[in-house]
Amino acid sequence: MSEAPASPGGGSHESGEHSPRSNIREQDRFLPIANISRIMKKALPANGKIAKDAKETVQECVSEFISFITSEASDKCQREKRKTINGDDLLWAMATLGFEDYIDPLKIYLTRYREMEGDTKGSAKGDTSAKKDVQQGSNPQLAHQGSFSQGVSYANAQGQHMMVPMQGPE
Amino acid sequence: MRQAGAYSNLLCGGISGRTGPHSLPLARIKKIMKNSSEDVKMISGVAPIVFSKACEIFIEELTRRSWIMAIDGKRRTLNKEDIASAVIATDIFDFLITLVSNSDATDDTTVIQMETT
Repeated sequence: MSEAPASPGGGSHESGEHSPRSNIREQDRFLPIANISRIMKKALPANGKIAKDAKETVQECVSEFISFITSEASDKCQREKRKTINGDDLLWAMATLGFEDYIDPLKIYLTRYREMEGDTKGSAKGDTSAKKDVQQGSNPQLAHQGSFSQGVSYANAQGQHMMVPMQGPE
Repeated sequence: MRQAGAYSNLLCGGISGRTGPHSLPLARIKKIMKNSSEDVKMISGVAPIVFSKACEIFIEELTRRSWIMAIDGKRRTLNKEDIASAVIATDIFDFLITLVSNSDATDDTTVIQMETT
């Protein structure tokens, strides 16, 4: 074979997009190292330094984390004969794979994100699921919970797995 | 009156600690999701947003646990071995063990897989 690949990912050009598995470009496999580095620094004391190989290792670990969770969520979707991986599938996968501590911060993040989205976009194009709940429930309290329901619904189904301590956000 | 200031303040400092709403690029997250399996066909818009925060928590946790290893070794520079030690010491990071123990060999195995198929 004259076209035997010498190094995977190396020397691939923009045109080589039609072989999705075997020849994925480096910049498609990893998140930017500058972003990774910034987040790592936040978790360290001011006098802490980070070697380049540590950043690169974390960069690889993050991609592996995304794939790990996505694969579990994708399996669930296949079992339930759904085509689209949604946020709840990811939360479920994280809880299943031992990352239940992540669920509460993620739900808070999503709630804030949706509030912000609703605020900047106005009432013209809000979150559809939240809107549906608003229309169905005449009770304003129900309407308020609507923006949260998407993230919480799976937790009701398997509440016994939820061992997350009920602490407020720091 | 709308309180845009309150919300933008939440996003600037409260969630990611920087000016953008997300600390990691959503398009890249989506690509990595799609690369993870051929079965991944469609991804809802909120999924990469969930991951942008989840990855942030993941990176912080991995870094903090690795830092403890560095301190144990009386160092103040985090290196690759500290990450590996933290992965080995933490149950939920079991899925990373092969990655951190032979990350130098991953390129070689990729070549072998490509040649045999």
